[in-house]
Amino acid sequence: MYDAPHKDKDVTQNDIKISARDVQVFYGDTQAIKDVDVEIDDKTVTAFIGPSGCGKSTFLRCLNRMNDTIDICRIEGKISIDGEDIYDPSIDPVQLRAKVGMVFQKPNPFPKSIYENVAYGPKIHGMARNKAELDEIVENALKRAALWNEAKDRLDSPGTGLSGGQQQRLCIARAVATEPEVLLMDEPCSALDPIATAQVEELIDELRQTYSVVIVTHSMQQAARVSQKTAFFHLGNLVEFGDTEQIFTNPKDERTESYITGRIG
Amino acid sequence: MTDTTPSEGRQPRASAGEAVRNSLARRNRKQMVLQGFGIAAIVFAITMLLILLTSIIGNGYHAFTQTHVELDVFIDPEEIPEEGLPRGDYDDVLAVAMGTHFPDVDLSDRIATRELTSILSNGAQYILRDKVVADPSLIGQTISVKVPVSDPYDQLHKGLVERDTEEQFRRLDNDAIDRFDRLDDLDLVSKPLNTGLITQADSRFPELAGLKGALVGSFWALLTCFVISFPLGIGAAIYLEEFAPKNRWSDLIEININNLAAVPSVVFGLLALAVFIGWFGLPRSAPFVGGLTLALMTMPTIIIATRAALKAVPPSIREAALGVGASKNQVVFQHVLPLAMPGILTGTIIGLAQALGETAPLLLIGMNAFITSAASSPFDSATALPTQIFIWADSPERGFVSRTSAAIMVLLMFLITMNAIAIYLRSKFERKW
Amino acid sequence: MTLAPFVILLFAAFVGYAINLRAAQAIRADGVRLHSLESFHGLFSLLMVIVPVLTLVLIWLAVEGAVIDALLMASLPAGVLDGLGSGAIQLIGAEIRSIAGGRVFGTPDDWKLEAAERLIGYRQASSWLLIVVVTGVSAGIVYFARGRVASGFRARQRVERITLGLMIFCAVVAIFTTVGIVAALTYETFRFFQMVPVTEFLFGLNWEPQIPIREDQIAAEGAFGAVPVFLGTIVIATVALVVAVPVGLMTAIYLNEFAPHAFRKTVKPVLEILAGVPTVVYGFFAILVVAPALRQFGASVGLDVSGNTALAAGGVMGIMLIPFISSFADDALSAVPQSLRDGALALGATRGEMMLNVLFPAAIPGIVGGVLLAVSRAIGETMIVVMAAGLMARMTINPLDSVTAVTVQIVTLLIGDTAFDNPKTLAAFALGMMLFIATLVINIFALRIVRKYREIYD
Repeated sequence: MYDAPHKDKDVTQNDIKISARDVQVFYGDTQAIKDVDVEIDDKTVTAFIGPSGCGKSTFLRCLNRMNDTIDICRIEGKISIDGEDIYDPSIDPVQLRAKVGMVFQKPNPFPKSIYENVAYGPKIHGMARNKAELDEIVENALKRAALWNEAKDRLDSPGTGLSGGQQQRLCIARAVATEPEVLLMDEPCSALDPIATAQVEELIDELRQTYSVVIVTHSMQQAARVSQKTAFFHLGNLVEFGDTEQIFTNPKDERTESYITGRIG
Repeated sequence: MTDTTPSEGRQPRASAGEAVRNSLARRNRKQMVLQGFGIAAIVFAITMLLILLTSIIGNGYHAFTQTHVELDVFIDPEEIPEEGLPRGDYDDVLAVAMGTHFPDVDLSDRIATRELTSILSNGAQYILRDKVVADPSLIGQTISVKVPVSDPYDQLHKGLVERDTEEQFRRLDNDAIDRFDRLDDLDLVSKPLNTGLITQADSRFPELAGLKGALVGSFWALLTCFVISFPLGIGAAIYLEEFAPKNRWSDLIEININNLAAVPSVVFGLLALAVFIGWFGLPRSAPFVGGLTLALMTMPTIIIATRAALKAVPPSIREAALGVGASKNQVVFQHVLPLAMPGILTGTIIGLAQALGETAPLLLIGMNAFITSAASSPFDSATALPTQIFIWADSPERGFVSRTSAAIMVLLMFLITMNAIAIYLRSKFERKW
Repeated sequence: MTLAPFVILLFAAFVGYAINLRAAQAIRADGVRLHSLESFHGLFSLLMVIVPVLTLVLIWLAVEGAVIDALLMASLPAGVLDGLGSGAIQLIGAEIRSIAGGRVFGTPDDWKLEAAERLIGYRQASSWLLIVVVTGVSAGIVYFARGRVASGFRARQRVERITLGLMIFCAVVAIFTTVGIVAALTYETFRFFQMVPVTEFLFGLNWEPQIPIREDQIAAEGAFGAVPVFLGTIVIATVALVVAVPVGLMTAIYLNEFAPHAFRKTVKPVLEILAGVPTVVYGFFAILVVAPALRQFGASVGLDVSGNTALAAGGVMGIMLIPFISSFADDALSAVPQSLRDGALALGATRGEMMLNVLFPAAIPGIVGGVLLAVSRAIGETMIVVMAAGLMARMTINPLDSVTAVTVQIVTLLIGDTAFDNPKTLAAFALGMMLFIATLVINIFALRIVRKYREIYD
């Protein structure tokens, strides 16, 4: 299980879900991302790895335009999902984010009940016509996030009262409930203990059946365990991108090798 | 983990895209409405501020000039005998001087004379008296004096009395206006800068009332306030922040200080009235007592600001000084306090600015008395700027409306200056640790 | 004359400092090692002089007036004060004082002139005595402190103990202020309730605080039922909050989430101006602009609006409270962690939805704390209501009527010369007590909510 990539994982060729071309990101005058070209497949887990400050999270946040909330952030290049440029002026970020869900580093449940947390997305998007439908959506989402058994008897208690691992799965359920096509995860396990981490990793593997999952992680073991594709970022550059197995066993770039063998990081 | 394969479970759901697309316009409209409310609220608040300022300035600027009449006065030794100074019939002398421009007015007719001299301010005779007393050799000569006109004519000259209003609703009848216009035609009327606003103390007559007494009173009160609250506030803050053990007592003091900062100011007035004046027998209306009261109110502000400034000094400074063997006292007084000083001064100035505008407690200790001379010590009776505003705002004469506004402009100018100094200090000495 | 003792005191303190400094330097020059630095020996002397002597001078000045008054009254010829009420005696005292101050009105009785002479004499004697005492005591202390200078004397510890004591004293002054407020209010309120029953004050519906001017006057027996006064305060405060809360909250919401950075940076300080304008200015604004405007508007729609309505006073007070509420709400919204904003946005919420569904509910405790503090401000606010509200207490909740308020009554009852022995004056203290208790409870509650709320997200 340790640093050996899953050899039995089927790396089937899927459709391209997200494609990025010549992406540059600036914070004010400093450039955080340089010339990133990447294609992310549907129904695949893609991991972004790299030392901290390498731009992997920044790039992830470009994929659902969360960087829009930062005034000084400027993005050049082209990112398209299903062939549609997501920075096209005609695209409303709200619409985009309904399609590209996100799970954050620290679990961030709203200070509301578990039910309200999960139902929030479907409610604002008007996905349920009545209470019964909403109940069903919530139940399914919680089941998919493997939280249903723990939470079904306490749907009305506050989401902030759950344990860290449960909170993170609640956030995943919340993201899943809006039925996105892509799920972005920004170091989803960094605040969790090993048991909770294992549960979330198992969940990620399962979510791959339905979604294109992009996960940022600083743990190479995690990337090796859960992903089929891996991208290595260093100092704002995409150094290497390829099948996880190949990256970990036979990296082409010297820097990648240094990183995965622990010499830089 | 239960079902994992899509084949036996649900079909992959369709995206929410459709629902989102359908509702997006409505949702964005809702957000626009929210933003609209926000902008409306801000516009409302700023409009009110603008109305306030324009109404004050619009009324107040009139008071920065004062209509004067220039008269050639013969200091008649019969009316003003040299040995009788300062007594003398100065108003008769003025009436005669006025009469030279109105040959048609019979000066032996008392009513007609009074109507004529009503143009002049009641204080005109005292201005003349002071001139003669200062230089008795003027007796027997004809001198040219410029005296203020009384309030209604001042208003008329400034265009605040509408000439086309019907006579019965006007404060001046047609004859009065004609008489004034005759003086105006003779080029005797002028409207110089009203220095009296600053150089004179209060008066019953708007055209003579000035702010000197209030300015001096406010100065003494603020000085007392500063001398007491600054050391006390800093001392208390240093103790609480650097020395006090964290226990129930320090908690109690902390809660107490936060509460004091929110106690209504009128309650401090009651305290001052009962304790300082009632029990200790300190003089009423004295700026010293006012300053004492304001000091108690300002102290919490200074304590809170000082504690924040002390907190902002990083522990590394303390550790460095302790590390070379300085005592706790030396660390605080030689290292931490100097570094915190800009923050403390900023907080103090803001506290003093608040104290300068404070009115209610000063009313209760009698600093709204009618006093026509400036206080020479903090124990004399005096008014303060805000209480003077209150007194004038309460006065029925029209002229006091513009005087009140002018006094407010003076007060606001002081407040703006003080706050500007505080902002300057903050930006100049602000340190990022 | 009053300055002389202070000058002597400072002079003695510096002399003490210099003497001890020299003495310590001399010891050191002899090659003996000092326990403390020379300057601490100097400071020891300085503080030893300033602290006790300054206390002495202040106490002297505080009691001087009362003692001299007592001596003066005791020295008046027998019989002149017989059968006079306390008010009349006070008047005589004031007359003598003003004669002594050189302001003679009319032709006063000879015994008054003599008394004035004596008063001047007493005052001079007192100041000379004070000067002598200050000089003597200071010199003694300087001598004593000089005697303590020795190589082993722990001057630094002594100085630090004294400064610590001084700082504790400073902190205790804050406590004494509260104690003083409570003591003064309680004492005078207690005396008031000896004259007027508590039940009448708390539940009476009639407020007419007149007192008979002559002993035998029957007509004006004052009524002290404070309910209409409390009601007036509630009506005005309600009007103020109806204006301030929505405007303040909407302002905060817009500035916090939607406003462009530059806009926020300009508008915030502009709104702070509203908070910095003294209340007496708002009061003048109310009577100069708002009340006439309301009156005119009322007349145009056929309503009879009184000149000093609760609406004018409360509305202007509301304007004053806008920045208060908006800055509290802004702080509360900013304290909500960024992760919650991100969470909502990532789900595809519009910024408006994020604000209304997530941020605002999460910030409610902080906002409620701010609103409560605004309530306490509103009921304690004095100048606006004194100038713009009415004097007559009425049982009405119609904001277009003229109503009075607790603070208005306190000020009008106490303005002018007051004696502390009639219910009219004391009623003001009873009202002040009610005001103090009400604001204290609200403040403690609000500060606790705000603090708790900060802890949640810190």
